[in-house]
Amino acid sequence: MKRIEKKLKELSQDNQKAFVGYIVAGDPDLETSLQLMHLSVDSGVDILEIGVPFTDPIAEGPTIQQAHDRSLENETNLQKIIDLICKFREKDTNTPIILMGYINNFLMYKDLINRSHELGVDGVLVVDIPGELSLEDYGIDNQDLDIISLVSPTTSKERVKEIVKNSTGFIYYVTLRGVTGSSNLDGNEIEQNIKYIKSISSIPVMAGFGIKNSDDAKLLSSFSDGIVIGSSIVELIYKNSENKDFHEVSDYISNMKDAIR
Amino acid sequence: MKDNLPDKDGFFGEYGGKFVPETLMYALNELEQTYKTLKDNNDFNAEFHRDLAEFVGRPSPLYFAKRLTENYNTASIWLKREDLNHTGAHKINNTVGQILLAKYMGKKRIIAETGAGQHGVATATVAARLGLDCHIYMGSEDVRRQSLNVYRMKLLGAEVHEVNSGSATLKDALNEALRDWVTNIEDTYYIIGSVTGPHPYPMIVRDFNAVVGYELIDQSQESFGRMPDSIIACVGGGSNAMGIFYPFIKMDNVELIGVEAAGKGIETGEHAAPLNDGTPGVLHGAKSYLMQDESGQVKGTASISAGLDYPGVGPEHSWLKDIKRAKYVAVSDDEVMKAFHMVNKMEGILPALETAHAFAYLDELMPNMNKDQHIVINVSGRGDKDLNSVVEIEDIKL
Ligand SMILES: Cc1ncc(COP(=O)(O)O)c(C=O)c1O
Repeated sequence: MKRIEKKLKELSQDNQKAFVGYIVAGDPDLETSLQLMHLSVDSGVDILEIGVPFTDPIAEGPTIQQAHDRSLENETNLQKIIDLICKFREKDTNTPIILMGYINNFLMYKDLINRSHELGVDGVLVVDIPGELSLEDYGIDNQDLDIISLVSPTTSKERVKEIVKNSTGFIYYVTLRGVTGSSNLDGNEIEQNIKYIKSISSIPVMAGFGIKNSDDAKLLSSFSDGIVIGSSIVELIYKNSENKDFHEVSDYISNMKDAIR
Repeated sequence: MKDNLPDKDGFFGEYGGKFVPETLMYALNELEQTYKTLKDNNDFNAEFHRDLAEFVGRPSPLYFAKRLTENYNTASIWLKREDLNHTGAHKINNTVGQILLAKYMGKKRIIAETGAGQHGVATATVAARLGLDCHIYMGSEDVRRQSLNVYRMKLLGAEVHEVNSGSATLKDALNEALRDWVTNIEDTYYIIGSVTGPHPYPMIVRDFNAVVGYELIDQSQESFGRMPDSIIACVGGGSNAMGIFYPFIKMDNVELIGVEAAGKGIETGEHAAPLNDGTPGVLHGAKSYLMQDESGQVKGTASISAGLDYPGVGPEHSWLKDIKRAKYVAVSDDEVMKAFHMVNKMEGILPALETAHAFAYLDELMPNMNKDQHIVINVSGRGDKDLNSVVEIEDIKL
């Protein structure tokens, strides 16, 4: 069984929701990213989403954009990120890892991405490839990798059907109109839309974008299979990068995990 | 004549497409549907052409550049005077068209990115005319070097948002405009400023600018009894070039030449010439030639002209390059300044620094032409906006 499916099964057997945590690889540096990946898992993250930095990340708000910029100053690239994941796998072979990034970087490392499953990657989420398109058409083709797609409040029902057909692992439901780190969650709309996805497919649905505090987390996890948190974690990492004491990150993650129990 | 590209998915050969975050798909599909219904609608076209005539002042003249022609003493040089349009550049053709789309779609809020500020001014102008709320994104580096246009936009009632991320130029302004659009998707219309971005924009912006090329067909016939031998246009995103090239793509005898910004020189890497020194990649929703490094990160650009200072280019140009239907060359900042002065002194025309790139190619082109040939330069815009920059570059005391 694939690692994502296995993890989500285990959680649902325990009646638990999944916590997907996002960090940008290489922010503040790759060595610290390794430490932060383990720390996140120890504090309650179930699935790691590793942001691949890009110069022009159009779906990101300022917090994550700036993290991409900081990482690029360290000349982070996909090869180095895969090396990071290999190191992580020396100690943790259970936690699923998803690469999240933009197509232009993935295209430059097609062969590496196609081999990345053997190296410890479980899924890819390419933000700027619409979900009804097939990544195979762009040379990214490995049956072992899960292809995670986004569905947003503006996605039409017809397109949701197509996207669900092309996706494996889980659907990432974008909870608001906006970039990462925005606010204004509309609980009713989110509930309706996730219900619709669930009515046509058995694929798990994670809700993300705009989750800041434990109330948001609790609310969204009540209609989904789990939540994704990015900007808040990235912000706390940045705040504590100077002295590299990340207990605030760890506390935040445990609080969120408690909120969705 | 109509071309059948892009295909239904928005591709010109392998270039173009819709590489965008999911939230934008709805808006792009809505726009595509609206445009499909309106583009052959008589009322829509009548309104568009009436605005072009009465508000923009079209047709723009085709003017014989007598002294320039004598200077090179080979082919006749003709100027397609887009600089005489209302607001001073070809950019208004596109904004007049797109604001009509916005009106038909009932959108109340208009956003745009701008580099040189010409597109920002052209957008603020049409928004003012319809009383619509208008927001312009502009890199802080460009705000500085095109400050006159910033003031013009404000006069027109637009709010100018300075963008400090990345290289603080056109590319970053586009990123920010796309982020605004993702956030305000339902009530906002994004008027993109060139033949760039996701499908259907490259097609729509081309079609609205193609009026330039269609006029040129008739004017060439009237002025010298046949079609031009060569058409030259500067290429940033590529909208003025695409507009004048498009009706001529199927006329194989007409040579199409796009001039990119070589900045400090192609060999220095400090330039803005993706068609001359780039590789295919995906930026701002479309696949096209792109200035990028081996990890797929977009490189910084350098050009004396804000409007050409962009690492990407419209996908249709990438296609025209690959099928060898158009030729893309590049000229350096120094060559551009020389041409800028030449056009002022010899023709009494103050070209935009963008436009001066097209003139700067004459030195190389003209020695190989014959006396009985005719070439046309697209004078994409006037240079009033650039006077501050020129004063700074040449260290002139006013
Ligand atoms: C006068 C003028 N010409 C050319 C350009 C470049 O744009 P494009 O390549 O889309 O024509 C600009 C852009 O700002 C401009 O202001």
